Amino acid sequence: MKYKLKNSWIILSFTFITVLVAGIAWASDVGDNPSITPRTMADALHMVMDSDRAVYTKKIVNRLVKKEKVIKASEHFEDEKALVLPAQMFRFGAEMVAEKAEKNPDINFSYSLQSLWPINKQNAPATDAEKEGLKFVVDNKGQNYYTTEELGGITYFTAVYADVAVAPVCASCHNDHKDTPKSDFKVGDVMGGVVIRIPISG
Amino acid sequence: MKHLNIFILTTCIGLFVNTAHADKPEYIKFEGKHLEHGRSIWLDTCENCHAYGIADSPNPLVPEDWRKRLEQDAKVLYTHAIDGFFGPDHSMMPAKGGNDSLTDDEVKAAVDYMTELARYYIKSKKEE
Repeated sequence: MKYKLKNSWIILSFTFITVLVAGIAWASDVGDNPSITPRTMADALHMVMDSDRAVYTKKIVNRLVKKEKVIKASEHFEDEKALVLPAQMFRFGAEMVAEKAEKNPDINFSYSLQSLWPINKQNAPATDAEKEGLKFVVDNKGQNYYTTEELGGITYFTAVYADVAVAPVCASCHNDHKDTPKSDFKVGDVMGGVVIRIPISG
Repeated sequence: MKHLNIFILTTCIGLFVNTAHADKPEYIKFEGKHLEHGRSIWLDTCENCHAYGIADSPNPLVPEDWRKRLEQDAKVLYTHAIDGFFGPDHSMMPAKGGNDSLTDDEVKAAVDYMTELARYYIKSKKEE
């Protein structure tokens, strides 16, 4: 009886260890192999970007500038000791990611804020996919654009998400800017798009 | 001749506006000039955000967005739409939807249309 009980414990322990080792191996395998589509990955990245920007806009800019009126937000934030504009904060994040991705080729993705009517020419679409994607999100409000493109021998999954004027100041700032090619934006208009590019082969 | 040109131009603009608004059957045409006028204003200014939930704006086609809001006095909704409003978590409804050219009465007509539309979809969902 005693022998049987001891044997059962050994079998149980062996089973537990086997399951544990298999579980760790499976988890490690899942972490290293693709188990998410590029589209889902792009959507997830955009969800993070969009939420961070919305939080900054609402809880910092709207609250301190519009509601409490204790500071202003300005394109010339250093000279005017002001808050950076939400679009600038987004762009600074994109630039930092580009720097980090360059040093770490394993995480070689990029994102940028572009427009068919950019104030800064650098933010105009450069590839056919970017041009087509930006036009699509302007013409099909509420929809995203997905495609693949080959650049420098690498195939990328490219997604474009609409960037909308969420407040009068977004529209007026662009409309009144001396370098703007379009001056009739209104609240709710698609002013440009967020382009996310993820390498999928090459 | 000048009058004829103006007449043709006005008719063309009228036809264009009607065509632009006619292809959106989900935005019900309610009876009465006031709501008809409100619908036109709503489509020109409010739809740009409210139809897509931009900046947390409530969509009149989504009953959950409006049930609690409709419990408020219409005066509160008018004030929020005319003067602007900070919602939960500092989301922002701009004064007159960012369209300063609208009169207070025009904004009220748009609010009346939007609330009527929201009531219509709440009722439709109940009947399903």
